[in-house]
Amino acid sequence: MSKFAFNSISEAFTMQSLNGQNHGLYVWSVLAIVFFTLLITFLVYKYKLKKISKKIK
Amino acid sequence: MIKKFIHQFASPKTYLFQVTRAYPYIFVISILIYIISIFWGLFLTPEDFVQGNSYRIIYLHVPASFISQALYGGMAIASAIFLIWKVKLSAYLVKSIAPIGAMTTFIALISGSIWGIPTWGTWWAWDARIVSTLILFIMYLGLISLHDSFANYEKADKFLAVLVLVGSVNIPIIKMSVEWWSTLHQSASITISDKPTIDPSMLYPLFGSMIGFTGIVVCLVILSSKLHIFVREKNKSWIKDYV
Amino acid sequence: MKIFYFEFLKLRKKSRGWIGPILVFVLIMTAFPLTVEFLNEDLDQAFFSVLWIALMLVMMLATEDIFLEDYNDGSLEQLALKNQSLALILGTKIFIYWMLIGVPISFIGSFYGFGITRSFDLGLNILPILLVTSYIFLNVFSFGNALSLTKGSVLGTLITMPLVLPLLVVLGKVVISINIGLNYFGFLALLLGILSIIIVVIPLIISFIIRAHLE
Repeated sequence: MSKFAFNSISEAFTMQSLNGQNHGLYVWSVLAIVFFTLLITFLVYKYKLKKISKKIK
Repeated sequence: MIKKFIHQFASPKTYLFQVTRAYPYIFVISILIYIISIFWGLFLTPEDFVQGNSYRIIYLHVPASFISQALYGGMAIASAIFLIWKVKLSAYLVKSIAPIGAMTTFIALISGSIWGIPTWGTWWAWDARIVSTLILFIMYLGLISLHDSFANYEKADKFLAVLVLVGSVNIPIIKMSVEWWSTLHQSASITISDKPTIDPSMLYPLFGSMIGFTGIVVCLVILSSKLHIFVREKNKSWIKDYV
Repeated sequence: MKIFYFEFLKLRKKSRGWIGPILVFVLIMTAFPLTVEFLNEDLDQAFFSVLWIALMLVMMLATEDIFLEDYNDGSLEQLALKNQSLALILGTKIFIYWMLIGVPISFIGSFYGFGITRSFDLGLNILPILLVTSYIFLNVFSFGNALSLTKGSVLGTLITMPLVLPLLVVLGKVVISINIGLNYFGFLALLLGILSIIIVVIPLIISFIIRAHLE
């Protein structure tokens, strides 16, 4: 492991790059999309399994 | 002998038993690995010289696009097993992998197009790999709608398996042809034959996130196949032990 | 040979089945210049894109009920029960479709190519390409429509169109090489190679699917 790439939380949030652009928006939105897609898929399957379990019982 | 082994091991009942037992372990371990490697990738790796911080999307994008193709390969193997040995379980697996594959391809497409904004200056380009991923996505949706449109499950299984096999022959051809057509995408960072073109300090979290994401996707496939087994075998007596 | 003649008669009688797609093709090729300004130079640039897409769509329409009527009136079941190879019969059927629909469309397409680009050479050059491509399209779309036999052709199109996309890339390269004046016989050979594989494999797959449908 190497040391932290950012010095503070706000710096990690904006993720300013060497060329001066802020890339935080992109990284964090991708993270959110991945997280929510996985979460929703899990929840949908859990819900469906619950429904069909009730039916079988 | 192989036939006997497959038929014994791959009954839906044995599968359900083993999978229900293994599920919590896989889930916890893979979530842990995934979170640690994402954290490592997002905060502890140095900034990329060319792409800046936006390269950190690689830890989310690459696992998804890797899995989306690997799942299709898995489907192809399962369909071959189904057509050759008539194993019911592999037909169930083919059917239950398809929506998960569509989901991972969706993640790969969205994350890739967001990554494209800072790196290429555009969110969509008519580039070989993007187009072939989009085609893969549409193929997954086509597979799902093919299976859904038949009320007779045995028929649907057969057709799905045939289509998956034809598609698996075709996917490399699609990839090659669109690469021939145009390419803008950076070439793969990790290939089996060559040395990786990425710094080791960035590579370890990438492998970690790939393993973690694979584990999560395996969990999803387990859930989805469980659902499908419940649907198909709901009249069996042993199914009551698992609901 | 008897089957050949029989299938030929059957398709010829069903005029909606074979004149229809040809007329649709003519309509598309006539309609597309209307979307561009009259005497526009760009017309022949867009021509080939429209040509390939129209060819693909029309082949899709042509194979829409290639097996459906036989399936409904039970003659497909009889064929499957016969000792003769079902794959061979299906291959013949597709061949007749190509004879009656694919070949006329290829000639019309090359005629349009001559009319729109005003170059006789070009019209003649794309004729073999059109002939081969239409046969490939017919094979692949019959596969899709065999899969979605009773479920309509939208499903068949959805699942088979991704499979023919590499062909469109090849066709695009062909047009470029014709336009620059390069030798395009390499591409023609490639298309013929694809065709020779498809012509063998697709009827076998379709016969498997049809047997599954009849179960």
